[in-house]
Amino acid sequence: MTKRRWGLFALGITLLGWVIGGEWVSIHALVPENHFIDALPGLSFLVAGIVALDRRPGNCIGWLMIAYVVVSYLGNWGNLQVPVVPAIGGSIGQQLGGAILAHMGLSYPTGRLRTRFERAVIGIIYGVSSVASLVILLAFDPRADGCARCAWELAPFPSRTAVLTANLVAQRLGFILVLLFLAAVWLRWRRATPAERRELAPLWVAVCVVCVVDLMGAFASPFPVVQPFAYLVWELQSLLYVSLPIIFLWGLLSARLARSAVGDLVIQLDRPLPPGELRACLARALVDPPLEVLYARDGLDGWVDAGGQPRSLPEPASGPRTKTVTVVERGGQALAALIHDPALDQGLVQAAAAAAGMAIANERLQAEVRAQLEEVRASRQRIVEAGDAERRRVERNIHDGAQQRMATLALSLAMLRDRAASDPAMAASLDQAAAELRQAIAELRELARGIHPAILTEEGLPAAVEALADRSALPVRVLADFDERLPWPIEATAYFVVAESLANVTKYARASGARVELSRCNGTLRVAVTDNGVGGADATRGSGLRGLEDRVCAVRGSFRVDNPPDGGTRVLAEIPCDA
Amino acid sequence: MPEPPPPGRQDVKETASPELGGMAARADPTAAAGIRVVLADDSVLFREGLARVLADHGFVVAGQAGDADGLHAAVQRETPDVVVTDIRMPPTNTNEGLLAAQRIRAEHPGVGVLVLSHYVETRQAIKLLQNTPQRVGYLLKDRVSDITEFTDTVRRIARGGSVIDPEVVAHLLRRRADGPLAGLTSREQDILALMAQGRSNRAIGERLFLSPKTVETHVGAIFTKLGLLPAADDHRRVLAVITYLKNA
Repeated sequence: MTKRRWGLFALGITLLGWVIGGEWVSIHALVPENHFIDALPGLSFLVAGIVALDRRPGNCIGWLMIAYVVVSYLGNWGNLQVPVVPAIGGSIGQQLGGAILAHMGLSYPTGRLRTRFERAVIGIIYGVSSVASLVILLAFDPRADGCARCAWELAPFPSRTAVLTANLVAQRLGFILVLLFLAAVWLRWRRATPAERRELAPLWVAVCVVCVVDLMGAFASPFPVVQPFAYLVWELQSLLYVSLPIIFLWGLLSARLARSAVGDLVIQLDRPLPPGELRACLARALVDPPLEVLYARDGLDGWVDAGGQPRSLPEPASGPRTKTVTVVERGGQALAALIHDPALDQGLVQAAAAAAGMAIANERLQAEVRAQLEEVRASRQRIVEAGDAERRRVERNIHDGAQQRMATLALSLAMLRDRAASDPAMAASLDQAAAELRQAIAELRELARGIHPAILTEEGLPAAVEALADRSALPVRVLADFDERLPWPIEATAYFVVAESLANVTKYARASGARVELSRCNGTLRVAVTDNGVGGADATRGSGLRGLEDRVCAVRGSFRVDNPPDGGTRVLAEIPCDA
Repeated sequence: MPEPPPPGRQDVKETASPELGGMAARADPTAAAGIRVVLADDSVLFREGLARVLADHGFVVAGQAGDADGLHAAVQRETPDVVVTDIRMPPTNTNEGLLAAQRIRAEHPGVGVLVLSHYVETRQAIKLLQNTPQRVGYLLKDRVSDITEFTDTVRRIARGGSVIDPEVVAHLLRRRADGPLAGLTSREQDILALMAQGRSNRAIGERLFLSPKTVETHVGAIFTKLGLLPAADDHRRVLAVITYLKNA
C-alpha cells in the first residue's frame, strides 16, 4: 500500500469513529430515532468519499463527501454534554449539509465549477448557510424554552425573534437557492456536448432523489415530531440519501464502465467496413457523434479524411468548444488523428483507438489511394484547363492580330479598286486579289472558331451550341433550359462534347437529324446529343469519343454513349457545376 | 476543333444569300450627303480606313472612338445619324459593341447602329433586334470591303431600315428547314433573305432580275404561307421575318 492509501485508510477509520461515535452519543442522550438507519447515509458517503479520493485523486468531490460526513454528524455530537459542542453541532450541522450537497452536484464530475454563474450560486448558498448558522449559534437559547438537558448551550445574545427570523429567511431563501441551483444544472445540460451529457446523467438522478426527499420532508413537516409517520418519512429519507454517494461514485468511475463499449467496437470492426463507417463505429463507442478521424499521408505532411480530401487538424487554441486531438501512432509513425470532445476520458479514447488499430490502418491505406487519385484528377483538370486557356489565347491573338489586319487590308484593297475603275486590267487584278483575301478571311474565321469559338466566351454555352447547330450540315434542334453562364472549364467541356458528337453524327451516323439537350438540375449540367442514325458508336473505340470521356472525367463528370434499341446514338455527359 | 464545311452547306448558302455587291442599287449617290456617322473600333488603322471610305462617299464622320466609353461620349456629343461599331472592344474584348448598341438604341432612338464582327451569330442578331428592331445592322466585318454595298447599308440604316448579315439569315432559314419555311419555294426563300437585309421590292427585283410586280406577288405568297399580314415599311418587314424565324 502506498503512503497515500495508508493516509486514506486512516482517514476512513477516523471518520468511521466519527459516525459511530456520533450515534453512540445520540443513543446515550436517548434521542428517539433508529440509530442504525441514521448512520447508513454517513457510512455510504464515507465509503464513497474514500473510494473517490483513491480512484480520482485531484478531484475534490471525494473531499466534499468527507466534509458532508463531518458536518452532518456534528449534530449527533451536539448531544454531548460538553460546553460549546452542542451549539456548534446543532447550528452548523443543520445548515451546511445542503450547501455541500449542492456544491458536489454542480462540480460533478470534474470537481470544478466551470462558469461564473455556477461559482456565484454555490457562493451564495454557502454564504446564506453560514450567516444562518452564525445567527442561530449566537442567539438560540433552548433553555428559554425549558429544555432541561440543554445546560451547555452557548447563547451570548439570546433572542427568540432573531432565531425565528433567521430560520424563516433561510427557509424562504432556500427555496430561491434551490431554483438557482436547478437553473445552473439546466444550463450545464444545455451547453453540454453529447459526451458530457452522458456523464451528467447521474447528476440528474441525484437531483431527482434530493427532490423526492425534500418533497417527503415538506409532506412530513406538518406532523408533530413524535408521530410514527414522521419517523417513517425520516427513515425513508435517510435510505434515499444512502443512494446519493453511490450514484456520484458510479458516475465518477463510469469511464471505466464505458470501456465495455470498446469491447463492442472490436466485434463491430471484425468485418469489412464501407468508407466512413469506421468513424461512425468510433463515434458510437465513444458517444461522441461529431467525432472525426483524419489520416496521415504516406511520406507527406498533412492529413486527409476517409474520402482522401485534404483536411487540417484543429488549432490547439483555447475556447470552450475546442476539440481534442488524439494522434494514433504505430511504430512511432502517426497513422491517424481522432478529433473528439475534450470531455472524453483520454484512456478510453486510447483504448478505442487501440481496438480499432487494424481498421484504422486499413482505412488509412484506402484514404491514401483516394487522395492520390484526387491529385491525379486535379492535375488532369489543370492540364485540360491550361489547354483551354491556351486555345482562348490563340483565338484572341488571331482575332486581334491576323483577322483585324486582314479586314483592314480588305478595306485598303477595296479603296484601291475604287480608284482603279478607269484601268480595267488593274481592276481585274485587284478584284482577284480581293476574292482571294475574302476566301482567306473566311478560312481563318473557321480555323479560329474551331480553336475556340468567340461566341462561347461572349454569350455562353447555349448560344455557342446554337451557333454549332447553325453550322451543322444536318438539321439540329437545340433545347436548353437555362441561359446563365457557367464556370468556363465546364462551358468549354460541354461545348466540345457537343461539337465532337455532332461531327461524329455528320461523319458516321447517316442520320437525318440530331437533337442537343442542355439542362441543369441539382447542380449538374446534363448534355445529351441524340441522333436518328444507324447507331453502333462505341466509346471504347475511336479516339474522338475516348478523348471526350477523358475531358468530361477531368471536370468530375460522367460520360456515356448509348445505342438505344430503336436506333440512333445518344451521347450523354453529366458535369457537376455548383454555381 | 477544326470544323470542315459540311457537304450541302454551300448550296444552302447560295440559295439563301446571294453574293452581295455588283447589282447593288446605287440609285441615288447623293443620298449620303449629310449623313453623320460615328465610328468605334479599337484598331486605329481600320477605323481610319473606314472613315476615309465613308468621307469619300459623302458621309460626314462626326467622331471616332476606341472603346465603348469613348463611343458613348461621342454619341452624346454629336448625336449622329448612324454609329458603326466593332463588337469586341476594350476592356473585356467580348461584346462591348453589342451592349453599347443596345444602350444607344434605348437612349437615343434616333441614332442607328451598325455592329461589325469577325463572326456573326444568330443569338447576337436576335439580341440586337428584339428590343428595338429599327435602325440596327449586324454584319461580318469583312463585308466593308464591298464598299458600294457597305455604304448602301449605312444609308439604309440611316433611313430607318434594319440589316442582318446574309449568313445569319441563311442559318435561320436552315434552322427552320423542317418547319413551315420548308413550304417556301427556293425563289421565295431568296426573296425572304433579301427582305431580311432590309431591301425594298424594287431592289429585290433588280437583284434577282424580276419585275417589281413579280416580287410583290412572291412577297404576298411568303406572307400568306407564313401567316403574316403584309406591311409596307422596310423595317417592319424585317421585324416580321426575324420575329417569325425566332419564334417559329
